[in-house]
Amino acid sequence: METQQPDCSQIVKLAKLEDLLALGRANSLWPLTFGLACCAIEMMASGMARFDLSRFGAEVFRPSPRQADVMIVAGTINKKMAPAVKTLYDQMLEPKWVIAMGNCAISGGPFVYEGQYSVVEGVEKLFPVDVYIPGCPPRPEALIEGILKLEEKLTGKRRWPRVDVP
Amino acid sequence: MIAPKDSPAGASSNETFTLNLGPQHPATHGVLRVKLTMDGEYITRAEPVPGYIHRMHEKMGENRTWAQYLPNTSRVDYLSAMTYTHAYVGAVERALKLEVPLRAEFIRVITSELNRISSHLVGWGAFVMDLGGFTPILYAFDDREKILDLLEAVTGSRLTYCYYRFGGVANDVDAAFLEGCKAFVTHMRPRLKFYRDLVTDNVILRNRLEGIGPVSADMCRRYGACGPVLRGSGVAYDVRRAEPYSIYDQFDFEIPHYPQGDSMARYNVRMDEIEQSLRIIEQAVAKIPEGPVMGKVPRVLKLPAGDTCYATEAARGRLLVRITSDGKDTPYRVRLRTPCFCNLSLFEEASQGMLLADALAFMGSLDLVIPDIDR
Amino acid sequence: MSAPDLTSLAAELQPLAAADFVQLPPPPPAPKPAAPAKPAAPAADGAAPAPAPAPAPAVPPAPPPQPVALCDFAARGVHLEAVVRPECVVDAAKVLDRAGYAIDAVTGMDWMAQGLMEVIYDFLHFTSGARVAIRARLPRENPRIASIHTVFSGADWHERETHDMFGIVFDGNPNQTPFLLPDDADYHPLRKDFKA
Repeated sequence: METQQPDCSQIVKLAKLEDLLALGRANSLWPLTFGLACCAIEMMASGMARFDLSRFGAEVFRPSPRQADVMIVAGTINKKMAPAVKTLYDQMLEPKWVIAMGNCAISGGPFVYEGQYSVVEGVEKLFPVDVYIPGCPPRPEALIEGILKLEEKLTGKRRWPRVDVP
Repeated sequence: MIAPKDSPAGASSNETFTLNLGPQHPATHGVLRVKLTMDGEYITRAEPVPGYIHRMHEKMGENRTWAQYLPNTSRVDYLSAMTYTHAYVGAVERALKLEVPLRAEFIRVITSELNRISSHLVGWGAFVMDLGGFTPILYAFDDREKILDLLEAVTGSRLTYCYYRFGGVANDVDAAFLEGCKAFVTHMRPRLKFYRDLVTDNVILRNRLEGIGPVSADMCRRYGACGPVLRGSGVAYDVRRAEPYSIYDQFDFEIPHYPQGDSMARYNVRMDEIEQSLRIIEQAVAKIPEGPVMGKVPRVLKLPAGDTCYATEAARGRLLVRITSDGKDTPYRVRLRTPCFCNLSLFEEASQGMLLADALAFMGSLDLVIPDIDR
Repeated sequence: MSAPDLTSLAAELQPLAAADFVQLPPPPPAPKPAAPAKPAAPAADGAAPAPAPAPAPAVPPAPPPQPVALCDFAARGVHLEAVVRPECVVDAAKVLDRAGYAIDAVTGMDWMAQGLMEVIYDFLHFTSGARVAIRARLPRENPRIASIHTVFSGADWHERETHDMFGIVFDGNPNQTPFLLPDDADYHPLRKDFKA
């Protein structure tokens, strides 16, 4: 005798566990407080009342890398600082992501000139980057867009609607 | 090695341990490393190790033309960027004897003072956050956003402005900007009273700051510490009065100073300076004349061989820019004497024997921006 | 603010002044005097040629620069500048310490073309607003100068930075390890012949 599966779609949704975990991770990305230079101020401003990163679950900046999910590299990485940055990245637990905020983190920024001796030309020289946010410094809205892009990378869907500029 | 449990509290022990503060730490306001030698909770030696954000500003001065160097000046101390650009363009104008139109001078004063207020708000908010009060920084950043709206409308940037040019400023300001400045002054004065009632008079803040980190005027002299650190030790020294530049001698403002020399005095100096900056902005907005905003500047800038220097009062203290030219279109040497470098240099001597928590309160009262130290 | 009176300070610094003093950066060469006009060709009718115009009066040479000199603040940003012998720099610092000055900055300069390095000490006075600069020149192959950190404690950090950037050795400064540069740095970036 055949038994039919009952149609529970009105009361129960079935989904893959990975999708659920991805949604959870995307909704509560905890950044590492890693402000190095000028971009750090815009990162702080994006966590404050006007721009409010808390709407996206990401205002809980953790000083300890063991408790952070995403490292927002905000500022210039120096050759003296590079080992410390790599150590912090290694100390973060999987799954972890990296956002390169600002021109310095993307490619060394305005401090690259021929014969320069101090700046690491982009954080991607140290470890892989998930999202790049250009700007010098990028506006807080740009950082929020970067967080949303990371969420899109995690979940496969963009959560918030784009604003179409006519 | 930690001090053994049976040693009496406060007795100096032979066993000290090394604790590393930074370079990644929420309370260092940037990438500063401090090597602490601790006897329990007391610091026996604190050695700041800068250099983790050294961005070659002085070397870049030598391979950029005079005008190409302007964006660098904003990034040395990004919270007080206008005064840094002011010092650099002032040095070049001094060497070339360029005339700056009066309207441009007024605009420079208004934008510099707005920048000073926004810098003090960030310094105040971050300082109180270090002590554990997480709310004032939200209010401070809210007020700061109002200033940033005004400055963004004029300069196009929120943080690292590149607004001043040799001989004037890049754009003119309109009536909406001046009205906005007046509205901001009206908004900010009651907020200062609100902050005084809620934060400055708070018993926890007072207990944490009064008597902490005493710095004498002679110590400031030996280390060259200026700005609120010096004014919090009783010396009423302000570059805007001592070496008047721009048109600051036309404005009526006081130099707040407190004699106690502790962290509370430095805190009070910064709060009072916000009020004095509001006074200057009010007077400038009332007196600003019409006219051009750029003077006559040669197309290709070649300064005569020689050196000159120019000092301004940045939010953190005295900034000196010393430029040397050998007649070419790039500087021969640009030296930036930055306030935080000199202010932090007294940390080692002043922090001996302090509790670690008090040392962090002391460091917060110095209001450091680390790229200012490393350049 | 009127210029402060620094004549007594200048007099105290005079005995420490450098004997062989050249202006750095070297001033541009003086323009050559205009050549006298050639005498006019004889007129076709044989009349005598017009007398040659009188030569232009000679421009008096500028006075040689002095090692200890009061400066125009509006042009230079300092009130008094003194070039002292490198071995006297601690004495000069003591003169300024007794007069109540504060240390402002210590700047290194690399004059590669002239084979010299220079250290410029800037001082300021909190009450009078006076600005004094002391300069000392060192041979570029072996730039050594005494440290003034026993007189002005703040010079310690400035000297460490100058050592980092130029390689100038400050005798008496206990800590000449890299300061702003990485701990294993063995280069001095602000030298003119530095290649990364």
